[in-house]
Amino acid sequence: MKALASLKLTAAALGLLAAGVLWAYFERAQSVPALVAPMALLALNLGCAIVLNPKFRAQLPLLVFHVALLVLVLLAAAGRLTYLNGRLELATGEAFTGELLDAEQGPLHRPRLAQAAFVNEGFEIDYAPKWKRLETRNVVRWRTARGEETGVIGDQTPLVLAGYRFYTTSNKGFAPVFVWQRAGAAAQRGSVHLPPYPVLQFAQQVQWILPGTERGVTVRLPLDEELIDYERASGFRLPPRRDVELVVDGRAHVLAPGASLELAEGRLRYEGLTTWMGYVVFFDWTLPWLAAAGALAAAALGWHFWRRFAARPWNEAR
Amino acid sequence: MHEAPLLWSALLAYVVAGSTSIVALALERRADRSILALLALGLGLHGAALAARWVAGGHGPFITLFEILSSNVWSLTLVFTLAYWRVPAVRPAAAFVMPVLFILMGWLLVAHPGEGHFPPTYRTLWLYVHVGLGKVFLGAVLVAVGLSGLILARLAAQGLEELAFRFMAIGFVFETLMLVSGAVWAQDAWGRYWAWDPLETWAFLTWLSLAAFLHARVGFGVGPRASAVMIIGVFVLAFLTFFGVPFISTAAHKGAI
Repeated sequence: MKALASLKLTAAALGLLAAGVLWAYFERAQSVPALVAPMALLALNLGCAIVLNPKFRAQLPLLVFHVALLVLVLLAAAGRLTYLNGRLELATGEAFTGELLDAEQGPLHRPRLAQAAFVNEGFEIDYAPKWKRLETRNVVRWRTARGEETGVIGDQTPLVLAGYRFYTTSNKGFAPVFVWQRAGAAAQRGSVHLPPYPVLQFAQQVQWILPGTERGVTVRLPLDEELIDYERASGFRLPPRRDVELVVDGRAHVLAPGASLELAEGRLRYEGLTTWMGYVVFFDWTLPWLAAAGALAAAALGWHFWRRFAARPWNEAR
Repeated sequence: MHEAPLLWSALLAYVVAGSTSIVALALERRADRSILALLALGLGLHGAALAARWVAGGHGPFITLFEILSSNVWSLTLVFTLAYWRVPAVRPAAAFVMPVLFILMGWLLVAHPGEGHFPPTYRTLWLYVHVGLGKVFLGAVLVAVGLSGLILARLAAQGLEELAFRFMAIGFVFETLMLVSGAVWAQDAWGRYWAWDPLETWAFLTWLSLAAFLHARVGFGVGPRASAVMIIGVFVLAFLTFFGVPFISTAAHKGAI
């Protein structure tokens, strides 16, 4: 037990943790055990030191600092078990109903995304010359117990609903809106998200399978001009000409907003062009506790050294 | 006011101050007042150069290599000058600290002074908090490095090792705060508080090395010379983290310290 509380073990465990960090940094494989094992050893070492070392217990700020570090590690572990990290895209006017494009989550995450419903009401993005992206302002609307609320999010201002934090991303583009009327079925309205703009400005087309069929359609947005001025300050905007080109069975059809295309499987009506925004969503209930534990650790450390150094003047070493 | 003449004048004042400190140490003379006055003059001129650039560019010196080097030369000199002024025992360490700053100044002179893009995620108070804490951390460790130079050159007076330990302890507090504030900023800037990106990884390794130094100093009775070597090791790691990793990394976290 005494060996487990020793400072030699602390030094060894710190060395092992540094080695684990380097392993995770260069190799990536098996990075979790490489980090968790030395952290567990440090936690054990600290626990034993608190119990066995009276000097350690006598220095309250030092004890608080180490316990806060332990709490940080435990919170980070709890966060990894319950976190969620995902991506979604919403066209202007579209509601988020809980479906993600892809997600990673901890084994104990309880999905409550349906409680985080909101509507993307459109965005503005400023650009400096040379397509340097500046501020993003995305208007969002959501429902609370008090009724509907709207707000502006963007860059480092997330929308926080039911503990989920939604951030806008640099991923955004154009979205033609269609109504698909399949023979004998109810009409479906939705949008097709073209590749991100301006990063893929010369590839504004996407393959799309008409819902309920096996019919593939290529949706293309012909752009006659550079919409974001490369030389001057500018902003993200829709093109003045909003026709789209649909390629079906190798034949191109140009549709203006409001026009329809008759196909064997049904009728496809092009409603108009709008934009889509890509979001990331992050859930980790430990965030405020991590911040509090980190602040406490730093404050306790400062307190410890203040007490220690205040006893002897700094210029005594002259 | 133009930035370039102010910056050149400041660098000249720093170089004269540093050279005087080296000569004074070699000849065992004291020129404390002159050196302090030259450092203060350099800081004033350099501060004006940074302010001129800030006004012209509309943002602080956080983006390009030139800006990062320039602001760090200023902040490191400021921390050292404050220590030089308030703690007389630190004064001979100028002969070891200023050559480190000369390296940064030389690098600054060959860096491209052009404008950089100020990303929207930098428009936050956390930028100033995180960067400010990082600068105090590196400044405190630099003072300890100067004292270590004196110890290794066997020019140390009694008690310098304890003084170096105190500056390392200050550095540890400020690095801890830097990591915490950086995590808070990263959460809102990139939607995650920690992602083991190169800069985060190397900053954490620096923190671990500092923690190991403090434990070794307290627990193992490490001698003055070994302690001095460890301090220099921690500084080298911190220096590479601040000035190496951001410029070889392709991650979002470019480390504009």
